[in-house]
Amino acid sequence: MMDTYAVHAEGVDRSFGGVRALRGASFAARPGEIHALAGENGAGKSTMIKVLCGLVKPDRGTVRVTGRLATAFQELSLLPDLTIAENLLLHDPPRGRLGLVVRRRLVPVAKEVLHEHGIDDLDPRTVTRDLSVAHRQVVELVRVLATRPEVLILDEPTAALQEQQVAWLAEHMRRLRAEGCCVVFTSHRWREIEALADRVTVFRNGTHVTTRERLTESEAVTLMSGRTLDATYPPLAPPGDTVALEARVGDVEVKLHRGEILGIGGLAGQGQRELFLTLFGAGRQKPAVTVGGTARTIRKPKDAIRAGIGIAYVPEDRKAEGLLLPMSVRDNLALATLERRSVAGFVRRAAEHRAVRDIVDRLAVRTASTGHPVGTLSGGNQQKVLMGRWLLSGAEVLLLFDVTRGVDAATKHDFYALVADLAAQGRAVLLYSSETEEIAHLCHRVLVMREGRVAAELEGPVGDAELIVAAAMREREHV
Amino acid sequence: MTTLDTAKRVLAGPHRRVLYAFAAAATILVAGAVIHPGFGSWTSLRTMLVLASFIGFVGAGQMLVVLVGGIDLSMPWVLNGAAIVLTTSSLGQSGRLPLAVALALGVGAAVGLANGLGVAWLGVPAVVMTLGMNGVLQGLSLGLSKGLTCGSCASYAPEPLRRLVVGRLFGVPSELLLWAGVALFVTVLLTLTTFGRRVYAVGNNPRAAFLAGVGVRGVTVVLYMLSGVFAALAGITLVAYGGQPSLGLGDPYLFESIAAVVVGGVSILGGRGHYVGVVAGSVTLVAIVTLLQAERVPEYGRNVIYGLVILAILFTYGRERADD
Repeated sequence: MMDTYAVHAEGVDRSFGGVRALRGASFAARPGEIHALAGENGAGKSTMIKVLCGLVKPDRGTVRVTGRLATAFQELSLLPDLTIAENLLLHDPPRGRLGLVVRRRLVPVAKEVLHEHGIDDLDPRTVTRDLSVAHRQVVELVRVLATRPEVLILDEPTAALQEQQVAWLAEHMRRLRAEGCCVVFTSHRWREIEALADRVTVFRNGTHVTTRERLTESEAVTLMSGRTLDATYPPLAPPGDTVALEARVGDVEVKLHRGEILGIGGLAGQGQRELFLTLFGAGRQKPAVTVGGTARTIRKPKDAIRAGIGIAYVPEDRKAEGLLLPMSVRDNLALATLERRSVAGFVRRAAEHRAVRDIVDRLAVRTASTGHPVGTLSGGNQQKVLMGRWLLSGAEVLLLFDVTRGVDAATKHDFYALVADLAAQGRAVLLYSSETEEIAHLCHRVLVMREGRVAAELEGPVGDAELIVAAAMREREHV
Repeated sequence: MTTLDTAKRVLAGPHRRVLYAFAAAATILVAGAVIHPGFGSWTSLRTMLVLASFIGFVGAGQMLVVLVGGIDLSMPWVLNGAAIVLTTSSLGQSGRLPLAVALALGVGAAVGLANGLGVAWLGVPAVVMTLGMNGVLQGLSLGLSKGLTCGSCASYAPEPLRRLVVGRLFGVPSELLLWAGVALFVTVLLTLTTFGRRVYAVGNNPRAAFLAGVGVRGVTVVLYMLSGVFAALAGITLVAYGGQPSLGLGDPYLFESIAAVVVGGVSILGGRGHYVGVVAGSVTLVAIVTLLQAERVPEYGRNVIYGLVILAILFTYGRERADD
């Protein structure tokens, strides 16, 4: 029997290590529709997508895709040392006689491809490594869109994008739908699903829950998590007066108090990342920082971890900068504080086991055992392990850089509560997020950055993300 | 949990490659014993194990740098240089032996230090840095010993050292006890110490390790130093085995060190592997060569078959990589 689906998977099972990512999962999408795949981290969305495009072989079940398929992944598949042009035209470079690549045509052709997709602010000669995560994602999407797919699968395409880039992508998704393309995407932002999707499929625990045309956010959250969600942002306890961290990085002066959550806002790529890395000793400058009353020059992360009351940095890209994926949950948790549980260089295994067990329980990390490779855990649980490493270090100054990127609603909610709780206990938090909403609701104070400087300082909770965006766009105020 | 489950888990886990390495060694030993009577005798096994121990030493050093995604191509002449330093400074006298051993190991450590500093601080690719040092060591060895014609170059390794390799303790060649000691040292270092944890962290993702406070450069330097020391140790024991150093003594050991590491299931990309695997890899290599010699295969044929067998072993591992 012929079906009218462009994408059809049925009864799919797939396990990784000891974890069952998909169990009897099914998914179907038609040509000419935008179909959202929703679910918490670990629900099996990414695995289903990898199964659909043939990257992962199912243990059981059938998969059929009709038409030319293109996929953009969460783990960006651009080659970091090639230029934008080389990446865009990797599979179909301009060729001359003898089939040899004509290098001098690469840049103009790439420019044209970018222009066709409405991107004029990127120089095709830029090496991909030097791009912000958002721009890399845009390049990845252009590359995929340029293949004129009949089935387009996008895994978390908007997680790294700015608002206007999201609008740009939405426009292209709608255009493709009009051309009869089947567009499947995942997102953790409900308003995008609501605005774009013709139908929504919800996954939970590796299996299909429902497929509907209409679904409210609270219904969806209930379906995805099996529980209902209370108020999204937790109340903030008032910050203390004691200065936890004081530093000057370039033109930015940071004064962070105990119990305070200080937000760093602004458009992406205005020097926020450099600020965070520098404070942690991983930037180009080696700043003098006063941590918990003692002045230190921080030359490397080790200095930051040991400085005064301790500094911790949680990066946005947990796979590249945070976790050691093939290593165990235990090894990942213990790495920053190994010497504290050691005698003469030997790890005290029993003490380590207790400490690790304690953190795993406290953060409710879902893992079969602490000996499992952290790479087999779902995204949200990986993020918890990364946070756990720094809870274990007891660092009182937390630098959290866009840590909710690509994390589902329920885990985000847990994370907000955790951050508010850590602050209430007297820890100092420096927070950057590509979702301005989070900065607006979760911070006592917000520094809005523009071109490496502080453009405005707002008292929080700001509440309205528009105010931060407005401050980010305005000319620098005179202080 | 049933035995089958446990077996399945081990086979699926990180220890699978180590098991494969032992399976490879066992296969060749059993095949040899079947094809060639006497191959499986204790005398024959003992000789093979002693020969394997030299590969085991260079393999230990090579493995340590491979674990952090590096490689040590300076091994042949570090080994050779250490051997020459040992005989020329000991002059065959037992009294001078401790000094000579310290000097020889010191040469290894110094070259390793230079390699490590070049790779970690100056950012020179490991292949270039260590190959360069190999050339430097070769030149120094040839020049300073005047092509091994210098007065003291005629000296033999002192007697106590020779006994170490040729002698027995409780019926076991003492050389093998030394190898067991090295195996214990490397295994304990990598699995029970904070340093070992950092080694695997750096090998898996140097950037993430750095951001977790690991001194990536320091770890790298120490590993290259250990690699140099192990190459020197191989040189010392080889000269004790043969009595006198020769030029080109270390030449076969570059290939063998890398082959033992890879056959032993250590990921050449870094971050994964155990020394027990390298032990099995070393035995496998020696068993192949011994078997071919016993079968009187001419040398060119031995080389061809040796290479092909190693490729065949690696081919059976290769399929695993994508899923790991």
